[in-house]
Amino acid sequence: MIFNEDQTDALKEFMNISIGQATAHVAELLNAFGTMHIPKISIQDMSELNQVVIDNIDKDSNYYMIKQLFSGKFGGECVFIISEDSANNLGAHLYEIQMPLEDDITDAVMELTNIITSSIVSRLTEELDVQVQFFAPTSNFLNASNIIDDDEVTSYSKIIVISTELEFKDKNISANIFILTKDEAIISLRDLIDKKIEELY
Amino acid sequence: MDGLKCPEVLLNSLENGHFVIDENFTVTYWNRWLSVSTQISSEEIIGKSLQEFYPDINYIILLRKIRTALRLNTPTFYDSNSNTVFLPIIRNKVTKTALKLIQQQVTISPYIVSENKVMVSVYNISELHETKLSLQKEIEKVNELNNILEHDQEIIDKNIMIIKTNTKGTITDVSTLFCEFFKYDKNELVGNKASILKSGTLPDLVYQELWETILSKKSWSGEIENKTSSGDKKWVQSRITPIINETGELVEFNAVYQDVTNEKLLEELYITDPLTQLYNRRYFDELMTSITLHQRKADTDFIILIADIDHFKSINDTHGHQVGDEALKDVARVLKNSLRDNDVVARWGGEEFVIMLKNTDLQEAQMIAEKLRTNIEKRKIQNTINITTSIGLTKYYVGEDTNLTFKRADNALYKAKESGRNMVVTQL
Repeated sequence: MIFNEDQTDALKEFMNISIGQATAHVAELLNAFGTMHIPKISIQDMSELNQVVIDNIDKDSNYYMIKQLFSGKFGGECVFIISEDSANNLGAHLYEIQMPLEDDITDAVMELTNIITSSIVSRLTEELDVQVQFFAPTSNFLNASNIIDDDEVTSYSKIIVISTELEFKDKNISANIFILTKDEAIISLRDLIDKKIEELY
Repeated sequence: MDGLKCPEVLLNSLENGHFVIDENFTVTYWNRWLSVSTQISSEEIIGKSLQEFYPDINYIILLRKIRTALRLNTPTFYDSNSNTVFLPIIRNKVTKTALKLIQQQVTISPYIVSENKVMVSVYNISELHETKLSLQKEIEKVNELNNILEHDQEIIDKNIMIIKTNTKGTITDVSTLFCEFFKYDKNELVGNKASILKSGTLPDLVYQELWETILSKKSWSGEIENKTSSGDKKWVQSRITPIINETGELVEFNAVYQDVTNEKLLEELYITDPLTQLYNRRYFDELMTSITLHQRKADTDFIILIADIDHFKSINDTHGHQVGDEALKDVARVLKNSLRDNDVVARWGGEEFVIMLKNTDLQEAQMIAEKLRTNIEKRKIQNTINITTSIGLTKYYVGEDTNLTFKRADNALYKAKESGRNMVVTQL
């Protein structure tokens, strides 16, 4: 185990705060009031990512998948997966039109991804006292069975998967967010958590 | 430069567009790349609202992105795959291009947060986008070809009988039509030996020759009789092709079958005497023509017998034609049952029969002819009527006209009749 029980608890607490902040930003900037579930945190082999993602989505639906890279000492990738219906509703809400165009939907999903990724990762990198660079997100519209291509997942041995669900009940929008970071970032994160635990006790 | 933190020369030297605006969309900086590309000079646009120059931009969205960048102190982005470009800039590529306007990646970065100013950076990603578009086009083409291929495979599967086996004859695949024709489920056939389909009536020699051919990596074509799961006999024209890998090793056999059952039935009718079910004269004539034409050594060593039922006319006259027909059928049965598989017997016409004994010496042929005569003599038609036959025997001499052979056989038969009937006479 890379994280012991105390470290996992502290990380969960820390992520709760970050996600709370992200939710507030979404509400303020997108005028969408929602909730994000308490994040599930796990350390996985990269090969297990596909199963983790599939467990959280409906296998017969189509999804928008937005990936945003962030680099630096705490580098990684944020994968935002939102169903076609939710993405349509989000596009309609952000563009204030009934029938959003494909481009409007993609832009809306990218904007939401950007806000959430920035909020969560910026908070973490501030705490870690490291610089972070965000890259332009890329979008794909895929069937659930093609979400994660096995060929894609070879670069990292272990990954930290922070997954949460975002719900805007009055807008009928929900999505899954996976924050994937690599070995080095996992160690930085563990050191940070140890420091925080020390400060507390 | 109004509040610009870095030297103007640096931003002007970049091959990307950079401009600074605030929440009111007032432009406070416009770099050289933008001046050149948009044909709007910095003097013209600075201090004015971007809306005056680009009224088609969705300013609600732009404002939200500016606010997000300022509030979170983080860059915000436009989708770089979008079909709507942020600043319409004509692309000057003269050679063939899929893009008339520059495809852009637009990043809005916080610049002076206290003054609500952001830096909008416009990157030219046309080449990348163009490559992506042509790749997508190629993928669509490949998918289209795959669909055609799948469709063609489906047509083949439903309309052609195909069977694949390994080198030991175990079935590895069969087409849908094959299963339907032989009334099997695919899983009943796959894993079984192809011999499951044998009707059992073809001589082993046929299969021996087939296997020798295909194991020597040559194709084999021929007609074989198979049977369905319910036991119905089916004739198929088969072409078996050995499949060889890059190193020359035999890996499997592919066979294509065609149903020729009806053709076979017609063919049989064409060469069969309807009353006796023996071959007819037409078949025997064709056989003789073929033998004399090809003069193969193995085929030219034979003896000809002509058998004639004695006093047949009086049987017909005394007992009626029905009994006469019975006598013909009975004699045919005796002849067929008394001969070997590779001997040929046909009804020559009326009450005459012709027999070809292959690869037989004269003495043996005479013994066989005598056996035929006695077997017929022992029979009683309708348990009461005795019949006898006279038989003329001769040998075929390699290269001779078959009319001469038949003439000798006829003469021998005539002598047998003359000498009191119910006997075998040889004329060489």
